[in-house]
Amino acid sequence: MSEAQAKSPDQSPDPERWLDEHGDYLFKYAVFRLRDDIVAEDAVQETFLAALKAYENFEGRGSERTWLVGILKHKIIDHFRRAGREAPLGEEVDEASDHREFFERPEPWQGHWNNNYAPNDWHATPAELIERSDFWKVFDECLSPLPRRTANAFTLREVDGLKSEEICEILSIKVNNLWVMLHRARLHLRNCLEMNWFRPEQ
Amino acid sequence: MALKVYEKLKHAVRYWLLRNIPTCQQTVETISQSMERKLTLRERVKVKLHLWICAWCQWYMEHLQVIRDASRAQAAKAPDVMTSATLSNEARERIRRRLTNQN
Repeated sequence: MSEAQAKSPDQSPDPERWLDEHGDYLFKYAVFRLRDDIVAEDAVQETFLAALKAYENFEGRGSERTWLVGILKHKIIDHFRRAGREAPLGEEVDEASDHREFFERPEPWQGHWNNNYAPNDWHATPAELIERSDFWKVFDECLSPLPRRTANAFTLREVDGLKSEEICEILSIKVNNLWVMLHRARLHLRNCLEMNWFRPEQ
Repeated sequence: MALKVYEKLKHAVRYWLLRNIPTCQQTVETISQSMERKLTLRERVKVKLHLWICAWCQWYMEHLQVIRDASRAQAAKAPDVMTSATLSNEARERIRRRLTNQN
């Protein structure tokens, strides 16, 4: 697999080779963020088609894959933008998804961690989790029960590191909504990872 | 006399703490906000006070940072590791046909 093939002047685009060499990589990139197989497949196809059209712009300075991922990122954001405009905010801002069961209700401990959900020491550093595909499988599964837009907000923020304002513009939401969504996603994901990865024996 | 003052002071301190230290539920929300914006001085003091007495919320804050750091590092290094999904044969063929028709 030639990951960083530089383009020579006489080279013409070879979309079939792109598909073989980068198809799965691009699909994984897309489906982790879009959380929908069909939409991710479309995004990959759109990326290749756009790449064919814009092939002259590919100077061969970076790797072919990096160039394709750059196009795919735009396709993903375009999809979020369209979806954000079309769908009004629904359950994302419902109070039901607030995970109140994580905290005690009766006095005197009202608002303090319920024993079943209180965090434990993970004894883990980020470095130990990187490249552990079994960890990321759990991570990916933990994201799936979240409302779609909440999961999207979470990946844009915590995985891709976009700024709040950019995410609000892409998803057509107000910054307060974003913060509520991120908070809920974090509460849920942290708990899910702890239950399914950091102490699976219980 | 001194004992009485001490008791009164102790009561006042306890009462103040009780009134001012936020609950875990409030604290985790503020912790999440701290990853999005600069907290006000008042918010920072409240979180600090809470974390001082609460190991769970300390871990909570640590975990959010682990999740963020690991996610961003993994995405930068090898984003394809983050899901086990692959392109189905049907989709692959559909895309192949579409691409070859273009040429």
